[in-house]
Amino acid sequence: MTQAPIFGFNQHREEIVREVVQRVVAGQKDVLHVLNDAAYHETKRLESARRPDEVKEREEWRALARQLGRMGEGERRRRLTELTERYAWDVAGNFNPRVHAVSKRILPSLVTALLEPTMFLKNPSRMLDLDVLKSHVTLEGPIEKLRGLVENGTAVFVPTHLSNFDSIVFGYALEAAGLPPATYGAGKNLFTNPILSFFMHNLGAYRVDRRLRHNLYKDILKTYSCVLLENGYHSLFFPGGTRSRSGGIERRLKLGLVGSAVEAYARTLLAGKERRIYFVPATINYVITLEAETLIADYLSEAGKGRYIIEDDESSRFERLFAFTRKLFDMKGGVIVRFGEPIDPFGNAVDDAGQSHDARGRPVDPASYVKNRSGEVTLDSVRDAQYTRELGEAICRAYARDTVAMSTHVVASVCFDRLRQISPAPDLFTVLRQRDVLTLSRDDLAAAVCVLRDKMKEMEDAGQIRLSEHVRTASGGDIVERAIRAFAGYHTTRAIESRPDGIAVCDPNLLFYYQNRLAAHGLAWDQIAPPGMLPAVPVQLRPPPPTSGPVSRPESAVSTERSAA
Amino acid sequence: VTAQPSKKHIGVLGGGPWGVALAFAAARAGAEVTMHTRRTPPHNDHIGITTDYAEIAKASLIVVAVPSTVVRDVLRSLGDHLDGHHLVVHGIRGLSTDSLETVSDVLRSETPVRRCGALGGPVQATELVHGRPSAMIVGSRFPEVLAAVTDAFQSSSLRVSGTHDIRGLEWASALVGCVAIGVGYAEQAGAGPGLLAALISGAVDECARLLVMAGAEERTMLGLGGYGDLLASIALAHRPEVVIGKALARGLSLDDACAEAKLRVEAISLIPRVIAFAKEHRVKAPTFDILAEILKGARPETLIPRLFA
Repeated sequence: MTQAPIFGFNQHREEIVREVVQRVVAGQKDVLHVLNDAAYHETKRLESARRPDEVKEREEWRALARQLGRMGEGERRRRLTELTERYAWDVAGNFNPRVHAVSKRILPSLVTALLEPTMFLKNPSRMLDLDVLKSHVTLEGPIEKLRGLVENGTAVFVPTHLSNFDSIVFGYALEAAGLPPATYGAGKNLFTNPILSFFMHNLGAYRVDRRLRHNLYKDILKTYSCVLLENGYHSLFFPGGTRSRSGGIERRLKLGLVGSAVEAYARTLLAGKERRIYFVPATINYVITLEAETLIADYLSEAGKGRYIIEDDESSRFERLFAFTRKLFDMKGGVIVRFGEPIDPFGNAVDDAGQSHDARGRPVDPASYVKNRSGEVTLDSVRDAQYTRELGEAICRAYARDTVAMSTHVVASVCFDRLRQISPAPDLFTVLRQRDVLTLSRDDLAAAVCVLRDKMKEMEDAGQIRLSEHVRTASGGDIVERAIRAFAGYHTTRAIESRPDGIAVCDPNLLFYYQNRLAAHGLAWDQIAPPGMLPAVPVQLRPPPPTSGPVSRPESAVSTERSAA
Repeated sequence: VTAQPSKKHIGVLGGGPWGVALAFAAARAGAEVTMHTRRTPPHNDHIGITTDYAEIAKASLIVVAVPSTVVRDVLRSLGDHLDGHHLVVHGIRGLSTDSLETVSDVLRSETPVRRCGALGGPVQATELVHGRPSAMIVGSRFPEVLAAVTDAFQSSSLRVSGTHDIRGLEWASALVGCVAIGVGYAEQAGAGPGLLAALISGAVDECARLLVMAGAEERTMLGLGGYGDLLASIALAHRPEVVIGKALARGLSLDDACAEAKLRVEAISLIPRVIAFAKEHRVKAPTFDILAEILKGARPETLIPRLFA
């Protein structure tokens, strides 16, 4: 395998930053407006700042805003260039091949140390063995094909995003799949997270400061990722923007940075050195999610809707991460990374040789999409935004197809459905208040899980979803048992619990979170469709076969115990 | 500035009245037109005729105006000759009755084309052929498609406006086809201007809700491609949907009514499908429920009380 470009990043970094600065500065037509916009947003952001460095920064912005009107165009351009340089260097990541080599060996041993401290002491040499993670993280998808494609083209990995643990898992997945490391934009807050920053630094991440909302900064980020792609740096984006708060798969994407791919591709054509770009959708599937409790609480709290940056969730608390990894790796197949089929930036399928094919399988030249009616390659941001929007839809369809349903998702869907049936009012928040009031008989639950699973198998055969091996083959009872085991021991509350009289449905919030994974497929109650998008139409399930004895209506098998108010 | 021969070269698929009308309109606006048809359309110096899809593919803007029943096959064959640089728009009213796919959905699944658009609005074939002033609307998410279509068709007698809501335009055109049956029916049954206006307003409101359910914008139904298109049906006694509506009101069976309209009317199979769609998304569609009754032969006197129920 030829070396991925990222191994030469440090030599190129200065060149890349210079190119970014040059392009961003040259691209600004109304410098006064751009600087005003930046000063306005920064002053606003720092309005209530107390820290001395922030206060100083605010005063600088205020001074700039005051002086702007009197400045000559030359002076404004100079200030713009200065600012752009500062931001571009702040964004520019670092990639240290030595650190990369070390950390990729340390990573599994660190995880192992977290998991099995006794074994770590007994046999430290085992720690350097990647097999430890290998037996816990399952890789699926056309990996061989992807390995071939990255030799001659640039890969853009676009996985689903559930957890801060994703970047570690996905970084590992790339490594284990024999795919090159990818550069990615990680939120600046992750660099301050004491645990994760170790993995972020020097692994090719560049820093994205989500607090900065002004257009100049956005432009710099976009240009930066464009220049990286043009130069053949494989990239990783979480196009959902932030971790899925609801637990659902992404149905609408934030494509700001992804959108630079069409431009990057057109620029390689204009420069006479075409380099194809392949998007690789992927799903990262967990039997339990590290931050499930914080995320669903955030989703449900009205005030939390604008909260993009959570600094103090489970991923920053060592003991929580410890408990999580132990739980996760305790369950065989608890994490599944599934790579999807690669597509070009225009949504066409790509074959083993890197050739694009339209929906009917005809070969098509991707360059034709960036040509105008006279056949010339052009840069056109409005056109590219439309391609990107359609690409986003294609990626979301791939997410649905490649979602791997696990026991917790299936069981949560059934339990939450039963909560809905006994809820005194049909709205979500009433259903969520049905805490510890419902106990399901084991047979009833197992039968309902089977019905749902069988429907999902049909959908899997039709290419609409994937099932984990266990969900595909186990009995309904075993699926329920596995979900109970997964729910127990990590989350601070139990989602469901085994009791002598049956399975108690305890924490509706957690069940809601886990059932949401199947909402977009119509396999669970869809209350999480993004604004302006219709909820998924529920799939029709056949009623479960009668268990034994006289045929009874399913409701009669449900025993409800309402606690006194 | 060098001349750009491809710029004003337009391919038209379909030699029916609508295809001919669009070809004439483009020729009038100064384009060089190649038509794909096996018929012999009226002569025009600026319109060439071919039966070879490869000839059509030489044009960078292609207009598809074939009957909706054959559109998939035609696009599949044409698709062999296209690539990503082609701009393709269609002027076909209708949605597939099985999955409610729009024609632009079919276009994307049968060809490599991405930059696509749809034509709609009240303009009539005869107006285009004779150069009588009228208005047309084009929908596309790609501004260059809007610009190319405007460039190709806008003339002193044809005003072309644009919308980015292509999906809304396609749905609006299809739904207007259904409602036009009701307009013909009501007129024949003797509805006065007040009642007719009330029926049309109610129908438009209902269609707008359906558009939202289909992932399109409400206001597209309220514009030229929806309301505008529907208003034209009042005066268009020969519009096939209107003919069917009138025939049904006279007590003819659906088959006889269709025979009278001569053309195959998509709307008839679409009406029950729209009702199912509305039910699936839990929206009320009383107008479409009544249209279904009309197709089954309901008499006006039984429908009026339901309208005001």
